[in-house]
Amino acid sequence: MTRRDFLIKWAVYGVALLPVWFLEQFVLNRFPILGAVPMLLPLAAIATAVLEGSAAGAGYGLAVGVLWDACALHSGGVIILGLTVLSMAAGIAAQYVLSQGFAGCLICSAVTLAIIDAARVLVGLARGEEALALLRMAGVEIVWSLVFVFPIFLLYRWIHSRTEVSTLF
Amino acid sequence: MKDFFKHNGILILVIAALLALIAFLASFLLGGTANPLSNVLGVITTPVRNGVNALASWVEEQYTNAFESDMIREENERLKQENARLQEEAREAQAALRENERLRNLLGLREKRRDLVFESATVTARAAFSWESTFTISKGSDADIAAGDCVVDDYGNLVGVVREVGLNYATVTTVIDSSINMGALLERTDDAAILEGDFALMTEGKLKLTYLPENTELMAGDTVLTSGMGGVYPSGIVVGRIEQIHTDVSGMSRYAVIVPEADLAGLKQVFVIKDFDIVE
Repeated sequence: MTRRDFLIKWAVYGVALLPVWFLEQFVLNRFPILGAVPMLLPLAAIATAVLEGSAAGAGYGLAVGVLWDACALHSGGVIILGLTVLSMAAGIAAQYVLSQGFAGCLICSAVTLAIIDAARVLVGLARGEEALALLRMAGVEIVWSLVFVFPIFLLYRWIHSRTEVSTLF
Repeated sequence: MKDFFKHNGILILVIAALLALIAFLASFLLGGTANPLSNVLGVITTPVRNGVNALASWVEEQYTNAFESDMIREENERLKQENARLQEEAREAQAALRENERLRNLLGLREKRRDLVFESATVTARAAFSWESTFTISKGSDADIAAGDCVVDDYGNLVGVVREVGLNYATVTTVIDSSINMGALLERTDDAAILEGDFALMTEGKLKLTYLPENTELMAGDTVLTSGMGGVYPSGIVVGRIEQIHTDVSGMSRYAVIVPEADLAGLKQVFVIKDFDIVE
């Protein structure tokens, strides 16, 4: 792959993030289900990690983490490092343990969302919030988010198929 | 080139750790001001937010016109009858109350509270995160809005507190968010208490009133106001009404569940209180 192909490839991956981000930040937040808004940005990072491998996934996870932290989460940087590590782990799991297809992406996404929400639940518990309410929210949020794994995976697989060896854009 | 990421996996982790540290320090040092990256993103996305908000309002209006006109006509009829009844009651009320009501209708919110300095703003986006109750408004530091400013609806009911300010936008934490904590006053008994957000109640659109004085007789429907103690928030702003009174798990103290007076789900226009007279 030439430098030009490499740059085009990751520019396209960057552009692919825009509709996902738009959907999460401006559309789906208007239609919460039982108070939960789906998390789409980590799904994009995981889909990339599953398709492109651990190191590329970590790079994309880092970029997504920066975007997510700046525009919505305000986690004080925790999600930047967290999503980088989780994407890297998802890439390794998909390459060596699971598959680099939809099933692998679904499992990695579910685990990633569960880890992110487990952190939220722990923070809530530390603040003295009711465990049942926190777990209910986490459950609904994970299930509602997983609905979007398939369309996001399709989008990223399409990009992957057109940029695997050399870019076809 | 294709092996760039393979050879730089650890480097990416190091960069992520450094960026995380920078983001942490920025959020720690800047307090309620948005960090530069958030600010740039917020400013860039302002037209998108406004556009989506305008489109959503238009769709909502069309939907209402198309599908809810019969319901609205019925509701309008009912409201007319209720309005007539309330007007009759108002005529029979004391002279001072009549005068007060008339002035409120005539002069509007700005004149109701002369001690408060308002800045009007539009709600442009809702929280894209399930674990908090926040929204974005259309004004920021360019309109002298600061973190910690109270936000009220057009009836003067408390909506929330400004959490973070960007150049032309601000994020508001609503009164039901689990992070909310402020002094309160029971209007009927004049007793002081503390308003606290609670995650379980937040999902139901409510909040808690705690540290209730032992001998206070609380009643469902009692109005809760901001106390203004400490000078952080203005006093006398209506927060909500008591819905239920509970005894906590230890059985030692009571707390009340408060339903906010402001319609948090339907907010479109809000007013930020930029300045106020401190009540000691």
